[in-house]
Amino acid sequence: MKRKAFLIDTTLCTACRSCQVSCKQWNKLDAEATVNRGSYENPPDLTPQLYNQIHFIEQDQNNDMRWLFINRRCMHCADAGCVKVCPSAGALYHTKEGLVAYNQDKCIECHYCVNGCPFDVPRYDAKKKVTKCHACIDRVQNGLTPACVKGCPTGTLQFGDRDRLISDAKAAGKKLYGENDLGGLGVMYVLDDEPGTYRLPKNPAIPASIFFWKDVVKPLGILGFWGAIGVAALHYVTVGPKRIEDTDDDQHSKGGE
Amino acid sequence: MGNYVDRFNTTDRILHWVVAISFFLLLLSGLGLFAHTFFNYFSLFGNPQQGIMVHKWAGIVFFIFSILLFLRHAAETCRFDADDRRWIVKVGGYLSRKRQEIPQGKFNAGQKLFGIFSGVATLVMGATGLIIWDPTAYLRELTQFALMLHGLFFTLFMVGMVVHIYLATVGNPGTLEGMLWGRVTKGWARKHASKWYQKVVKG
Ligand code: SF4
Ligand code: SF4
Ligand code: SF4
Repeated sequence: MKRKAFLIDTTLCTACRSCQVSCKQWNKLDAEATVNRGSYENPPDLTPQLYNQIHFIEQDQNNDMRWLFINRRCMHCADAGCVKVCPSAGALYHTKEGLVAYNQDKCIECHYCVNGCPFDVPRYDAKKKVTKCHACIDRVQNGLTPACVKGCPTGTLQFGDRDRLISDAKAAGKKLYGENDLGGLGVMYVLDDEPGTYRLPKNPAIPASIFFWKDVVKPLGILGFWGAIGVAALHYVTVGPKRIEDTDDDQHSKGGE
Repeated sequence: MGNYVDRFNTTDRILHWVVAISFFLLLLSGLGLFAHTFFNYFSLFGNPQQGIMVHKWAGIVFFIFSILLFLRHAAETCRFDADDRRWIVKVGGYLSRKRQEIPQGKFNAGQKLFGIFSGVATLVMGATGLIIWDPTAYLRELTQFALMLHGLFFTLFMVGMVVHIYLATVGNPGTLEGMLWGRVTKGWARKHASKWYQKVVKG
């Protein structure tokens, strides 16, 4: 199966938030009470009830408002930190389309995945189970596009064959974010400014301590356990145990020498 | 007087075995979080969520008793003399069949090192364990680092424990009795802890 992906051209986004609403509708996510923080951005972050969010970058440029908008969500990484740290196989997994979906029945509520994710995406619902954008895998596997893409009136959100999206964007002379990072992201952006402006890491990578934990310490732990048992067994049959010899129990022998 | 000398009193033994039991509870309930290969260990506790609960509470018990055990012997374990240094250089004579005895106090240098390591490792496991008790409560970078350290010290603890168990059982016959019934034979005491034995004999 060819890898599927989103391509999000932020230059086309009008911040209508149809994507947020379509997602909530399809995934039956409840509305949440929010407060006015003096910004059009609302809600301010992903929540267990909000799988994709329009982040507003509101800049004052010589008394002119510069508005940038970006649809934030799970990036469906090929080399996904969340999948890497999840102890329960199958709780977070790659679908055959290369998207990162999850199965709440297998989630053991350890909440490790948020720490493995370079983009701080997974959230936990009232049942303490993992939630995030799963690319409407139920729709995709029935030949439909994800709900957010369906709802977007401007063509900002596109979904399809990853290779096709890349070649089309390149043919149109657009520069992509996320083409090769983390094995290639399943969400690529066309940006109007530096990634940092959009709160995106310039070179996204699995956090170093998470890499060390899973790719160095974990194999070492398994090796160390069996290695130590092996060394002990080897010691027993080569050097042998320190038996107490008869002379040790001789009352006249001196301790020490 | 007989052929035995007292080595560990009831308090020593109870502390040690509470630590040992909670260690194994932690090991069994934690393995499922360590690697996919061990995920099935959670079935010992009913389901993974209960396994995690056991891990958390066993962690509290282990922390308290391990620190108490360390403090109880700290005066002995944290003092090294010339004999201890000789012991370390010769790795306690464990690498050769030749009989080489280095006079040792109540604990040999290896036991002291393991005692100190256990104390430090307990502190690290306790502190990191508290942070990852709720992995979303603190700064992400802190929690990520804590997850890594918790895994690293688990690995070190595991290896140390394999060595500790081997040496305290089949590797040195007669040692386990001290921790089970509190007594060791005089022969054992002379062989393994001659300086301590001299002190005990003199009273
Ligand atoms: S919270 Fe659930 S999905 Fe996340 S790492 Fe733990 S088991 Fe996996
Ligand atoms: S963005 Fe985060 S949650 Fe989404 S696949 Fe990548 S690591 Fe997992
Ligand atoms: S639906 Fe499309 S245009 Fe509207 S906010 Fe979402 S991405 Fe932007």
